[in-house]
Order: sequence, then structure tokens, then C-alpha cells
Amino acid sequence: MNLRLSTAPHVHHPVTTQRLMLFVIIALLPAAAAGVYAFGLPALLVLCISMASAVLSEFLWQKIARKPVRINDFSALVTGLILGLNLPATAPWWLAMIGSAFAVIIVKQLFGGLGDNFLNPAMAARAVLLASWPVHMTNYVAPTFFDSSIDAVATATPLVKPGTQLMDLFLGNIPGTIGEVSKAAILIGFLFLLITKTIQWQIPVVMVGSVALFSWMFGADPLAAILSGGVLFGAVFMATDYVTNPMTPWGQAIYAFGIGLIVSLIRQFGAYPEGVTYGILLMNIATPLIDRFLPRKIYGHQKEAKKA
Amino acid sequence: MMKKTFKRGVHPLHSQHGGKAPTRNLETREYVSDTVIISMAMNIGAPATPCVKKGDQVLMGQVIGNANGFVSVPVHASVSGEVIAVDKIPYLGNEPVMAVTIKNDFADTWCELKPLGNVEQVDPSLIIPAIRDAGITGMGGASFPTHVKLTFKEGAKCDTILVNGAECETHLTADHRLMLENGRRIVDGLRAAMRATGVEKGIIAIEDNKPDAIQAMKKAAEGRQGVYIQALRTKYPQGGEKQLIEAVTGRQVPAGKLPLDCGVVVLNTGTCAAIADAIIDGKPLISRITTVTGCVRTPSNLKLRIGTIVEDAIGACGGFSQEPGKIFFGGAMTGICIPNIYVPMAKSTNGIVVLNEKEGKSKEESPCIRCGRCVAACPIGLNPYLIKVAADKSDFEAADKLHVNDCMLCGSCAYACPSRRWLTPSFKFAKDKLAAQAKAKGGAK
Amino acid sequence: MSEKKSMGKVLFNGIITENPTFRLVLGACPTLAVTTSAINGLGMGAAATFVLICSNFVISLLRNFIPDRVRIPAFIVVICTFVTMVQLLMQAFIPSLYDALGIFIPLIVVNCIILARAEAFASKNTPVSSAVDGLGMGIGFTLALMLMGSIRELIGNGSVFGVNILGASYQPMLLIVLASGGFLTFGLMLGLFNLIVKKLETKKKHEEEQAA
Repeated sequence: MNLRLSTAPHVHHPVTTQRLMLFVIIALLPAAAAGVYAFGLPALLVLCISMASAVLSEFLWQKIARKPVRINDFSALVTGLILGLNLPATAPWWLAMIGSAFAVIIVKQLFGGLGDNFLNPAMAARAVLLASWPVHMTNYVAPTFFDSSIDAVATATPLVKPGTQLMDLFLGNIPGTIGEVSKAAILIGFLFLLITKTIQWQIPVVMVGSVALFSWMFGADPLAAILSGGVLFGAVFMATDYVTNPMTPWGQAIYAFGIGLIVSLIRQFGAYPEGVTYGILLMNIATPLIDRFLPRKIYGHQKEAKKA
Repeated sequence: MMKKTFKRGVHPLHSQHGGKAPTRNLETREYVSDTVIISMAMNIGAPATPCVKKGDQVLMGQVIGNANGFVSVPVHASVSGEVIAVDKIPYLGNEPVMAVTIKNDFADTWCELKPLGNVEQVDPSLIIPAIRDAGITGMGGASFPTHVKLTFKEGAKCDTILVNGAECETHLTADHRLMLENGRRIVDGLRAAMRATGVEKGIIAIEDNKPDAIQAMKKAAEGRQGVYIQALRTKYPQGGEKQLIEAVTGRQVPAGKLPLDCGVVVLNTGTCAAIADAIIDGKPLISRITTVTGCVRTPSNLKLRIGTIVEDAIGACGGFSQEPGKIFFGGAMTGICIPNIYVPMAKSTNGIVVLNEKEGKSKEESPCIRCGRCVAACPIGLNPYLIKVAADKSDFEAADKLHVNDCMLCGSCAYACPSRRWLTPSFKFAKDKLAAQAKAKGGAK
Repeated sequence: MSEKKSMGKVLFNGIITENPTFRLVLGACPTLAVTTSAINGLGMGAAATFVLICSNFVISLLRNFIPDRVRIPAFIVVICTFVTMVQLLMQAFIPSLYDALGIFIPLIVVNCIILARAEAFASKNTPVSSAVDGLGMGIGFTLALMLMGSIRELIGNGSVFGVNILGASYQPMLLIVLASGGFLTFGLMLGLFNLIVKKLETKKKHEEEQAA
């Protein structure tokens, strides 16, 4: 009989990193399916390329850097999928490939791999692609496959007549990136993430609320502001990236509130039509500060505020 | 009554009734083994000195080890029979300890007992010495001598004695069974402690996953002066002294201080029952209820004599049902692994849990994904992920600044971690290192 | 600096082991700003090299006459002289490059590399070795700038020194010639250089251990 000796605890919660990543992928599937339904096979192709190249990049990097290969934690797959969903269906193959490789190698692995990246890899890659190939990145087509009119502004500040247009925004009958078009599909994913306790409600709810609040304050229609562009997709799938958001519920609320403010500022006063990417990236950078300066009450230390 | 609880925490093995299903409804069985090995170091503080030698005949309850100093208790023979060895034995990975091995003659002849009678009438000044002489220590895990706990230092103000019936650990149902089967004794013990210390209020706190125990204890406490029952919302680590105090009274024990500093003393249910036995019957602490569960054929609660060898206890439960991979004393969250099955159980052994080969495997660490589950779990309010980074770099100073010394090693963070990071083990390591450093510094001065 | 260094070693030192840009991270401002193309990098490097050699030489000559307290202003005066010369020469003979580099030519005056070498080397060494140090540092700086310029021009424009390399169908990555692209390239180059130097050092250590 060979008894193992170890320090307690001897049991673990069934959830593992791998399973969490899998839950995120499952939650993304409705949005992906809606995108493919809206934009057809080119959208599917973009998603497949971005996922495959993300996983391949991670594998190759870990081989070259002689690190343990951890592609089976699915984190690269999640990055690839989220990036793909952030591209327009018309994106050329190399755009998806470069984006994924950049996200995985430069944003994630060069900073130490999973858990050590200070920016959301998919978001950073999207920002790079947007700055590098703005024409390709904003070549949105309407879901009807025929109309290839280029109108980047349309996704962020659509001309809304109350009623039908809002319904179109909600169901996905609008031009946009693959993942962000159908708000209904995103909400299904959100519910799945909540039920499986993969994420908490704070970040998505506070971020959406803050976008609505500031849009209203800046004189825009709050409902249209929420439903247009990448707000919902960003709130549910990108702002909630564990690695780059604060650790405590209060910190997360501050973080999400900040994103909403930045998004609204960029949309209303900035040069860019959409600000979700930059909002999330900027607050990603602020995350360590929030974690550091938000006081925590420690049992038995009532009087001193914590400075880690 | 409103159910109370503390901040944060986890629900280990929640989907499996806290891992407790097999034993909670089974009546406690008495089991007496052929041989007992009684360790002299069953309490925190100075170990006892053996006062018998090989070949001596001893009676049940006879003192076989004398206490050394104030923070120490005597040790008694748990069976009658012949002493066959007085020797050092290896014990739980620490230094070898002195132990007395007794061959049972199964006569169970008691030595002369000195009962003090009804707990409500006995002279209060006799209670604490009787507790000490009965060798009573905390029976929940830490084994702190109970008479020390009840001897208040000058100026200390205590208004409440809490009885810990939370039993938040996985697998264990020993306290649960005790409350169901012997609730009166617990209340008697609590009354004795209250009278000895002059404390007016005694609260028995029980988690709401034991509704039958709450009922039973309410009945047992009926008509007893100053004894209340408090239901708690089930959560781990509610049975931790600090969490129990926070849950029931809303107070917090100041960092680095004792519960007494916020006016509370916490006793385990088993300890209370032992106090009652000592006062009413004059019997020393020689047996206790222990949950034997996991991969054994008939998981049970056994009333075991102190010093029963694990092999015998498992044999009493029909032996292993699967090849064992890991065996530990206590529940799965804080249990201490035993190296082999020839180790004897002690006064604080509330459970013997056997895990199979697969369950016993240590998990491989993967990178921290900063999900915040450890932060949400920590009942103290620490940042386990940050402490782990510091501890992994052997930067114990940084770990200290992050309050690693406030960590009570409850295991909640490591339980919750999806990356299976060895949080609690590295905190224990860091705490040990810091303690050693502090000691070295103190020595240098 | 009691130990006399061979000229070759001083030169090598400037190019590789103490490369001003990638090892000492000096002069980062022009490095980030002007390396949008290879030719800009080369021009900036050459201008700085000229100033470095001349100022190092002159400051070394004057090192025993300059009072310690006012040495920095004195260095600046010397450096300014040469920078003004470079500026006027450039404006006269290569106006296109002069226009491209713009404000960064006069800013060579406050380039950390030049002042640092004046302070750390020229004021303590002989004029000839100071000039060689200036040459080595200058070459190191120039090579680094040219390398960064080439990479950024290649990725951001598909060409090197204005010669199209990647073909007409190449879709240039605009970001890399923007400021953020400069930071990105600089960071990656720093990492790469550190890696190489580390590898060289461990190899050297290994050889020494084996020899011993």
C-alpha cells in the first residue's frame, strides 16, 4: 500500500481552467452561429482561420520557446474565436491570421503566457488590425449579401427611427462584425455564462448601464447606444476576460463603469465611430491600479485600509 | 430565528451533501481494539511524561502520563490491561513522540473515579482542575488544553461561550451524531464551563444542514439557564473559530489575538461532552466519536478508545473497499495525511477518511488565470493569488506584507482554484518560514 | 579607467555589448521618431555619428581645461557647434532628408548618447580613443536606427531604402510606421537584443568554466 502524503485541501471544486474556457466557447457559439447565418460562409471561414491560427501560433511559440505546450487549456481557441467574431465577414484570410498570431504571440506569450498578459489579446489584436488596415477592418456588409456599401459609421451611430430599427439592431439585421450583430444571441451566451457561474453579473451589467447613462447625458438615445456596435458583445465576452479585469466585485464595477464612460466619450466626441475596443484596452491598463488601491477589509484588521 | 453566517467562504463537495451522506444517519457504534498506542503529545504545549513502564498492569482511566507545566494535560489509559511498550514512535511526519502501548484485557476495569455530581450544584472552583485532570483538550483539531482556555487572564472580559457544532468540514459527522445521541451531555458540559468562568451566556451554533441536530439540541437545552441554539447558513469554514465568532456575534478577533480578546471562548461539542463526563462521572477523556468514511466497506461513526490504530478502525468498518491512495485525519479541507495505517488516532481525531488512488492523486498546477475565485473564497479577505506569487519567489517579506500570517490555512482558496494551484501548501510553507525567521531573530536578541 | 582598452575592443563595445540604443536605451526619442524608413534612420545615425566623433575628440582635447563645475554647459557648447554644422550642411546638400528629419536634427544637441559619452568617456580618455569610442557608438547607433528603419519600412511600406521588395499586392501594415508601431518595434528589438547578448554571455561563461 502506497499512501500519498500531501497538504490539505484534498478536494477541489470540479471547475478547471479548461472547463471555464470551454464554457466561454459554448457561450460564444450562438453569436457565432448568428453571424454565420447573417453573413454566410465567408464568416465561417474567417472564424475557422482565426481559431486555427491562434492555436497554431500558441503551439509553435511554446515549442520554439521550449515551454510546456498548453494548447489543451483552450485559451488560444477562445482568443482566436473572439478575434474572429470581431472581424467583418469580408476580412481577408491573412487579416485573421496576422491578428491571431499577434494576439497570441505578442500580446499574450511575450508577456509570460496565459494569466500574465496585461491586455486582452483579442482586443489588442483588433486595435492593431484596425490601425493597420482600416479599410479591411471596416468593410462591413449588410446581412443580405448584396449590399457592399461601406459605411463604418453606420454600426456605431445608426440613424434610429424608434421601433423597427431597434428590433433590427436587436436581432442582427444590420451590418457589423460577425459576432456583434445579433444581440439576442449574445444575451443567450450571457445567460449561459451566468448559469454556469463562469462570470459574475457585475461587469456586463455595470458596463452596459454606464454606456446607457453617459449616452443619455451626452444627448444620445441610450437604448440605441447599447444595441449598436460592439457594446453588448464587448460587455459579455471581452470586458469579462479574467486575466485583465480586477479581482474584486467592487473593482470590477469601477472597471466596467470606466469602460462605459470611455466608450461614450469616444463615440460622442472622439474621432473614431466606435470606442468599445479602446475602452476595454484602457481599462485593462487601469486594472492593476484598481486592484492595488481598492481597500480590502481583512478579518481582524478593521482600522487599517489595505495597500497590497 | 434568522440564520447567520460569515463573509465569503466556499461550499466544498456541496453536490454530494458535503461528502457526508453515508454516515450522517447511522447510529454510532462502539469499537474496542486489541491494542492501543497512546501518544504522550496529543495536546498543544508540553507533551506528558510517561509514568508507567513495560510490564505494568494498568486500569482504565489510570494516569499513564503526567502533565508538564500549565499548558499541558495528563494522559490516561483508555483500556485496562498490560503495558507492552513505552517507546518513541514516528508520528505524522513530525518528530518521533513518546507513546505507551497497552494490550487490552477486555475487562474494562475502571480505576477509582471521583465524580463531582450535578453540574448545576458542583462548586465552580472545582470544575477547571477537574477538566485538567481529565486530560481534556480541544477535540475539533487544534488540541489546545481546555483548562487553559477557560482560565482567563487578569482583566479579560468574556460574555459568551460558543459551542461549535458547525461541523463544516467535508466527510465528518461525528459532532452531528454526538448532538443527536448525547445532546444533554453537551449542554451539561457547556453549563459547567459557564459556571466555572462566570459567563452568563452560552450559544450552541449549528449549521442548517443538520436540522435534526438543531431540533435535538433545542430540546436538550430547554429550561437550561442562559443556553441558546443558533442556526447558521451552511458554508465552509464556518467551524473555524474566527468565522464562528463572526457568524454568531458579528465580532472579529483582532489579528494575532485570541478569541478571548473579543469576549468569546469557543468550545467544541465533543469537548463539552467530555467536560460533562469529567464532572458528572469523574471519567477522564479516554474515548471519542470518530467518523471513518471514504473507501471503506461500511462507513460509520465509531466510538473509539484514544490510541486506536487506524488499521483496526478501518477493519471495524469492513476494511478498504478500494485500493487506498491517501488517508487523512480530519475532513478533506484541512485533514492531515498519515504515512501508513499503523498510526494511532488521538484525542483530536474527529475523522479518518480514505481516498482511492484516483481521488488521492495530487493535481498538477497550471498558470493562474486571475479569475478571482480565491479572492471571493478567502474568509479572511486576503489576496491569495498575490501571496502565492510572493511565496513562489521565496519573497517571504512580501508575503508577510500581504498578511500571509492572517491566513488560517482553511484551504478555501485552493479548493476554489480552477488552475489547481497549491495555494494553501505554499502559504503554510511561507508561514513556517516566517515563524522560523522570527524565532531566529528572537534568539539573536 | 586605468585599464587601457584596445581600439578594436572600444569599437566592438559601441556596436554590440554597449549598443547605445538596444543595450543602454539612450537616445530613445529620435529612435522612435525618425525610424519610419531606412534612409531616415541612416541619415539620423550618420548625423549623430559625425557629431559624436567630433565632440568626443574636442572635449577630450579640452578635458584638462574645462572646470568640473561648468563641464556640462561647456560640453553642450561644443556639441552645439557641431550640430549646427551638420544642420547647415544637410540643409545645403540633402534638403529632402533635412526636411524628413526636421526638428530632430537640432535636437541632437540634447541627445543623451552624445552627452553621456562626453561625460563618461571623452572627459577621461585620450582624444584618439575618444574619437574611436565616438565612432563605435555612432556606428552602433546608426546600425540600430537603420535596422529599425528597415524593419518598419519593410512592414509598413513593403520597401527598404525606397526599393519595393514585397511586391505590389502587399498590404502595408500602417500601424508600424505610426508612433505606436515605433514603440512596438523598439520593444521587440530590445527583447531580441537582450536575448542574444544573454546567450553570448552564457556561452562565454560556459567556455570559461570549461577552460578552468
